[in-house]
Amino acid sequence: MSDVKTDSTALAGRRSARPGPRPFVRRLVSPPAIFKQALMLSMAIAAVYPVYYMVVTSLKTRAGWTADQFGLPLAPTLDNYLAVLRDGRIPIWFFNSLTITAASVIVATAVATLAAFAIARLRFRGRIVLLRLMIALMVIPPAVLILPLFLGLQPLGLVNTYQGVVLIYSGLLVPISVYMLTSFFRTLPGELFEAARIDGASLWQILVRIVLPLSAPGFVTLVVVNALWVWNELLIALVFLQDDQKRTLMAGLTLFKGHYSINEPLVMAGTFLSVLPMLLLFLFGQRFFVRGLVAGAVK
Amino acid sequence: MITSSATSMTVRRRRLDPAPYLLVAPAVVMILIVFAYPVVRIVIDSFLSPTAQRGVSIGFANYVSVISDPVFWQAARNNVFLLLGVPVLTVLALLLAVILFDRIRGWRIYRTLVFTPYILAVPVIGTTFVYLYGYNGIVNTLLRGIGAGGAAQDWLGSPTLVTPAILSVIIYREVGFGVMLFLARMASIREELYEAAMLDGAGWWARLRHITIPQLRTVIGFFVVIELITMLSWVFAYVYSMTGGGPGFASSVLELYIWKNAFAYRAIGIASAVAVLLLVATSALIVVQLLVRGDERDTGEE
Amino acid sequence: MSRTLPRLAGLITIAGLVFAACSGNAPASSSPGGSEAPASAPATAAAGEPVTLTYWYWAESDAPGADKWMAETVAEYQKAHPNITINVVPQSTDTLISAFQTAAASKSGPDIASQWATGPVLSFVWSDAVTPISDLVPADEMKHWLNTNENTYAGKVWAMSMYLIGIGLGYNKDLFAQAGVTPPSGDRWTWDEFLAACQKLKAAGITPLVGGDKNGYLGAWWFANLGVQALDSTEDLRKAVIGEASFTDPKYAAWMVELEKLVKAGYFNDDVMSLDLDQGVRKLSQGKGAMAFGTDGMIKQWMTDLGADKVGVMRPPKWGTGQLADAGNATQSISFFVTKWSQHPKEAADFLQFMHTPERLAAWYKATGVVAADDRFDQSLVTDPPLQAMLKFETTGPQVWLENWIPPQIDGDADIPAGQMIFSGSGSAADAAQLWERVAQTWRSAHPDELANWQNWKQ
Repeated sequence: MSDVKTDSTALAGRRSARPGPRPFVRRLVSPPAIFKQALMLSMAIAAVYPVYYMVVTSLKTRAGWTADQFGLPLAPTLDNYLAVLRDGRIPIWFFNSLTITAASVIVATAVATLAAFAIARLRFRGRIVLLRLMIALMVIPPAVLILPLFLGLQPLGLVNTYQGVVLIYSGLLVPISVYMLTSFFRTLPGELFEAARIDGASLWQILVRIVLPLSAPGFVTLVVVNALWVWNELLIALVFLQDDQKRTLMAGLTLFKGHYSINEPLVMAGTFLSVLPMLLLFLFGQRFFVRGLVAGAVK
Repeated sequence: MITSSATSMTVRRRRLDPAPYLLVAPAVVMILIVFAYPVVRIVIDSFLSPTAQRGVSIGFANYVSVISDPVFWQAARNNVFLLLGVPVLTVLALLLAVILFDRIRGWRIYRTLVFTPYILAVPVIGTTFVYLYGYNGIVNTLLRGIGAGGAAQDWLGSPTLVTPAILSVIIYREVGFGVMLFLARMASIREELYEAAMLDGAGWWARLRHITIPQLRTVIGFFVVIELITMLSWVFAYVYSMTGGGPGFASSVLELYIWKNAFAYRAIGIASAVAVLLLVATSALIVVQLLVRGDERDTGEE
Repeated sequence: MSRTLPRLAGLITIAGLVFAACSGNAPASSSPGGSEAPASAPATAAAGEPVTLTYWYWAESDAPGADKWMAETVAEYQKAHPNITINVVPQSTDTLISAFQTAAASKSGPDIASQWATGPVLSFVWSDAVTPISDLVPADEMKHWLNTNENTYAGKVWAMSMYLIGIGLGYNKDLFAQAGVTPPSGDRWTWDEFLAACQKLKAAGITPLVGGDKNGYLGAWWFANLGVQALDSTEDLRKAVIGEASFTDPKYAAWMVELEKLVKAGYFNDDVMSLDLDQGVRKLSQGKGAMAFGTDGMIKQWMTDLGADKVGVMRPPKWGTGQLADAGNATQSISFFVTKWSQHPKEAADFLQFMHTPERLAAWYKATGVVAADDRFDQSLVTDPPLQAMLKFETTGPQVWLENWIPPQIDGDADIPAGQMIFSGSGSAADAAQLWERVAQTWRSAHPDELANWQNWKQ
């Protein structure tokens, strides 16, 4: 999708795969430095506030939090974390969340990659209808699906099982995954595809050797976004996993919240622990991202 | 060899090539399993008596109940209001992405920070903002501190301000997704385009308009569609964790209306009717949009 | 052209289908009755035959310590009945409604479940999800249970009460002294005395009443404590629900005018709409207000935060002239019942009875500080004067928690938003009353089958 035709013969073939700041091409696209820094700084402060609040609250005693909800703890304590960790169910719930998230994301991403590849790069009857169907399905609020899904899966014995939940999550992730990967696959230059075809490459080789590496940043983004959604999801986890041993971390943490009262420091400690894995996943995924950002388009 | 395979490829293309169908098969199967039965069930339920009296059809009575309920219209209005936030969200995400792409000092940290709200579960963000936006919360305390006490409002307790306040939180979190998306796409833009443009003397605004945005167009389109859908169908957790739809019904949204009717009031017929209406309305919008724009995504792509 | 890719896709599809079929065949659920079809007549287990009961248990939120108490109770019971295993699944407020809703719709799930008393329990009774507890437990046992009227319908008691929660008007003695306010000599003030006290407090620069109505419960509490006083019985309320009276009648609406007056006079904290109920309650602990409605547990927390001798409690001020104006407001809050599809209802009921043995009742109080709903409960265990006062309020005379006696939709769409209208000033008391009536009409026309149930339910 090259809209801009430039006389780039002199520049063609030159790789711009240099890591680090690029003095010549700095300010490729954006406004002057001070404005940028100011904006980013204010954004950073706003973005980090919930984490600050979470950590600070989790270090307070209940009395300390009652007295002062906003400031730093006068007598920081790790008691809340200890209480959470001592609850023997936490590791079990944690493991459940991990398994379910990993399985759902893997299944959904694999299935969606195949479908998106076909929709984006192959011509076949019903291609557009399928894509539009995907988009339409995303409009259905999950709350609406829960009761019918429960009634449908219950006779199949899939309620209160990991398989059932993974099936549901994967299914719910497919539309958005297909849509997103289709968008990314479409942006790849058609010439690459043609050249590979002419060289006799199979579809599989095209997918694995060309499409995936070039879409790596998009791919990583999708995996992270999907993992986040499954990890943080509450409603389906609450309804479909009814055994205390099978609960996900998020569902289990709701047990710490009261109807009329909340032990906020305790809840925040549990919540902070639940955020860590996803944070780590994101930071890890960043690596691929950075490589993608730096490598640029490879000819 | 090449010629013969080219011919055979052409020949195979004229007959039905099974490859694409096999590729989409797993996705189609999953969708059928997870969506087909529920959607059929929901449509049927919308014509049945509201509580669990199965098999007692009452025609369109549920739809009439819904359409004559002022709460439904309040919720629908709120969703439409949220839709208006999507342009703001998109522009903000673009702006941040463009700045980050340039790797100003500390860009790695900024990029992680921008995405952090998206990593947190929505209820956590909701709870935090309840403290921020409370009448004696942090935002108002700051405003009063700098002498702008007149601007201090009950952000979540005032019927007129509550929905914009919630929208601000949604934007706050969703912008991280947009930034990551745009950065991911920008990573593949060929630098030669920029270099050539700069040689031609193009300033940053021109480069933005003529190179970056066109290159990002598909992804921007994707983001806009996703966020429009989010504002319609995926904001339940924000509203539930911040206000529960209050004060009164001022911040109610369609998902909350559906959830309350389905679970708290056991009026499954009504909840299903609302879901069907939602689906029909958005399908109509998609059809209209396609008729108006023609779908350029399908022409001349390859 | 290689066919690896399409072949791979085909394999994935087939594998997925096989996988789904496999897990369908083996009942993977470990909760008994979870994946089985609804049974015919449930068989009583022969003595010694292993029985597993699943209990979806909600109580920790109302009564912290309840989960631990339940674990002990289960351990003791299982020791005495080695063939019975009880699988307790703690519920959160979020799960409670949605999970049981799906269970009831599919007629599968736990043997024993928890639900909010009266309205919610009965709605499940009417959708055939409940086995009446009075069919399973002897009358001379049940006569010790308190507040059974909250779950009585068609001559049967459908669910068991475990504990009692009441609401009192707590106050900060120091702030009273500061403003020259004297607490009532009896249980409660008259309305005029109450207004005079509020005025004095405000003049002294103290916020008379603190609370939070962001999640709407405070408004509901005022309904249950002020609105109730204009009625003679719950039958009066039922008449309005089924349409034989209008919610805009002064009998049902006058209390809102009084509440509006309090709000307009500035007697509440200025951030009442920003805070949830528990956050508002906390303001009393912080010394930021003189009076607040609170449950026993909240009163106990105030005593911890302010000092046991700094906190007093009185009954809500007397305003109305209906017979219910003298009634208490204690409710069992949550009720436990045996489900219709349970394979072992007798065993389930037996365990429920075990929870009411005097030793267990005493242990309950020690673990949670919440009084048990049983006349065999040893009242001498309650030692703090404010809590003793509360206990007296909760066990003397008739008790009505009015919020239980309306359909959930009227509670959620009228009771709660109406209170928020008044507290936020976005609507007048007259608007609020009209909202009640409109929602009642909507409910009646949208739920004819539920309406029929309410019409048949003489209280």
